[in-house]
Amino acid sequence: MPHVSRRRLLSTGLGAMSLAALGACATPGTHSVNADPAIPAASGQKVRLTYWAWLKDFQKVADLWNAKNPDVQVDIVWIPGGNSGGYQKMYSALAAGAGPDLAQIELRSIPEFMLVNGLVDLNRYGAEEFAHLYDPTLWGQVSFTGGLYGIPQDSGPMATFYQPALLDKVGATPPKTWDDWASTGKELRKAGSYIDCFAISDASPFAAFAAQAGATWFRPEEDGWVINMTDDATMNVARFFDKAIDDDVVQTDFAHYSPAWFAAAAKGGIATITTASWGDALVEGVSGGKGKWKAAPMPVWGNTGFGSSYLGGSTTAVLAGSKHPREALEFAVWLTTSHEGIDAMIKNSGIGWSPAKDFVGTSRQQPSEFFSGQNYFKDVFVPASREQNPKWSWWPITQQTFNILSDGFRKKAGGTSLVDAVAAAEQDVITVFRNKGLTIRKEQA
Amino acid sequence: MSSTPAAAPPATSQEDREIRTGRSRQAGTSRGNRSRAAARAPWILLAPFLALFTLTFVLPIIVALISSFTKVTRSGLFGEKGVSSGFAGFDNYAQALGDANFIASIGRVLLFGIVQVPVMIVLCTILALLLESASARWPGFFRAAYFMPYGVPGVIATILWSFLYVPGLSPFIDIAGSMGITLDFLGPDHVLWSIANIVTWSYTGYNMLIIVAQLKAIPGELYEAARVDGASPWRIARSIQLPLITPALVLTTVFSIIGTLQLFAEAQVLKTSAPAIDSQYTPNLSAYSTAFAYNDYNVAAAQAVLIALAAFILSFVFLRLTNRKSS
Repeated sequence: MPHVSRRRLLSTGLGAMSLAALGACATPGTHSVNADPAIPAASGQKVRLTYWAWLKDFQKVADLWNAKNPDVQVDIVWIPGGNSGGYQKMYSALAAGAGPDLAQIELRSIPEFMLVNGLVDLNRYGAEEFAHLYDPTLWGQVSFTGGLYGIPQDSGPMATFYQPALLDKVGATPPKTWDDWASTGKELRKAGSYIDCFAISDASPFAAFAAQAGATWFRPEEDGWVINMTDDATMNVARFFDKAIDDDVVQTDFAHYSPAWFAAAAKGGIATITTASWGDALVEGVSGGKGKWKAAPMPVWGNTGFGSSYLGGSTTAVLAGSKHPREALEFAVWLTTSHEGIDAMIKNSGIGWSPAKDFVGTSRQQPSEFFSGQNYFKDVFVPASREQNPKWSWWPITQQTFNILSDGFRKKAGGTSLVDAVAAAEQDVITVFRNKGLTIRKEQA
Repeated sequence: MSSTPAAAPPATSQEDREIRTGRSRQAGTSRGNRSRAAARAPWILLAPFLALFTLTFVLPIIVALISSFTKVTRSGLFGEKGVSSGFAGFDNYAQALGDANFIASIGRVLLFGIVQVPVMIVLCTILALLLESASARWPGFFRAAYFMPYGVPGVIATILWSFLYVPGLSPFIDIAGSMGITLDFLGPDHVLWSIANIVTWSYTGYNMLIIVAQLKAIPGELYEAARVDGASPWRIARSIQLPLITPALVLTTVFSIIGTLQLFAEAQVLKTSAPAIDSQYTPNLSAYSTAFAYNDYNVAAAQAVLIALAAFILSFVFLRLTNRKSS
């Protein structure tokens, strides 16, 4: 028998340990929690849930639940919003096999988290029994291949906020169609204002306008994804904004809600903003804006498409590492459908549009002082929330698609049209899907 | 007051001789044990360092290398029909190098480095020479003042500067505008130089301090001799100070080259104000987006390896060039 020295033993052991450590470092997100057996509800024991969200003062909302449910206590941890750091934090936590029970995830980002096996299929924990409480369009946006991957928490039906005094200067009213919008924009330029921004650094408003015009960029089918970013609806929208930028009708130097936007809006350099319902809280941040803003339905694409669209909106999702998915689901449903939860979220956190089918929030049934005494929730956003494209589906590389698009939009200054940028982006997106091994095909016309 | 070699103790002292003879006496019996213990001692002393170094430095690099050669393939709409990972060869590298935006980001920081690094090095050298000249007033105060921006974190520095860059907020833009000049700090052609300005502001004082330290190490006799020979301050700077601070200049330049390739925080923060900055503006931002916004850890690992290689090659080439010149 060969003599094994202590040192040999030690070094072999260390080597084996580091190999094991390396083995544990497999590419993150390759194990599916939804293939594991379902976790039964905790009975009798005390449960502590952690919820990562970027809403402000959210603990106050959770405390209402905590007071009533001594056995299921929810702790809120604040994270930066979405892609400004929150998702990065969640992805790293998921990659490390850790993370909270619940997390705020935007509707559009649900498929991205599914791709890394980061979300629990809530239908396995009885989410179907709550489906009737929610706006069916939103419920559709979180349902994929028979599973449900997040509880809608708020959404963003779109409309236009405008400064009546600036429109009056050129004798205009809030534009009813996009053609009106373009001609009003030309008049406003003569008066030294822009009608709005076109964000070359963020493609999500463009996608929202395309969805309004009737586009459905992605469709999940049995045999893979079907992509169609170059349909007539999208191309019309691209051509429209190409012309608007060429005619200098829109501002492209800065994006909505950037410091430069707030400065321009306060000084009358920006007359309107077509944005989501949650934009009200941001517009209220324009200094000296009280009483100077109103809301109107967003412009429509002639006789085609829909009356409104959606921008943003988020869900309460249960992350793969959760030990108590059923309790997490029950909290999420209370949060987003009980009058108490919705009112508290509006009061403390200023959330977007309520996802509940029949309750918009008590305070949203009253007129707003900032918006010139207008009851814009009832008059503008309730109708808008019923006129959205129900077919739109989010896809697993939404953020990357938007970045590819905005990279193309940035070249507009150098002469590349938005139309060309969208067509090129479609090809790039197909390549990205295939690089990930996903099946995708172009819609046959 | 310096000690001459003559004053040093003799090379072989009584103690030395005793130790030597002692060692030779014992050699026959316990030489093996002794030398093995002696060989083991440095490893035992190094172990705490090596353990941490391996765990936090070597291992992550190895994991990144392995990750960069791995490919994850999903089937179905989201990978619900199975996920497999396997050896990818150089696929991830090909994908990284085939990404026009990633290549553009490398070109961008190279251009940035070619302009910003020399400007900063010249600036910090001038500041150091001025502060160390005989006629400098309050050198301690100014040294601290120039160094202060380094104490401001890059993120905060960028937020501070962005208030001077954003139209509608910036007094510079307002003043220039009233004189009929349109300034655009955040446009696609200018934003890189606006970032260069922030970086220069942050790091000039730090590099200056390294050079000042080296200037202080120059023996006083050299200055005395030069002055006796009637050299002007300009001649002293050129013939004595500059040649003697070359090592510090090389060091600061290499650090700056590496720092340029790692440019991240400034671009990331300025992104909110400048639409021209995309998600792959610098190589590090590109790797960050690929890993944490697109969840493509494997391609991100390949990008990170490429950035490290580029930093290594650039530093190596620069050191080679300066060594050749000095020898």
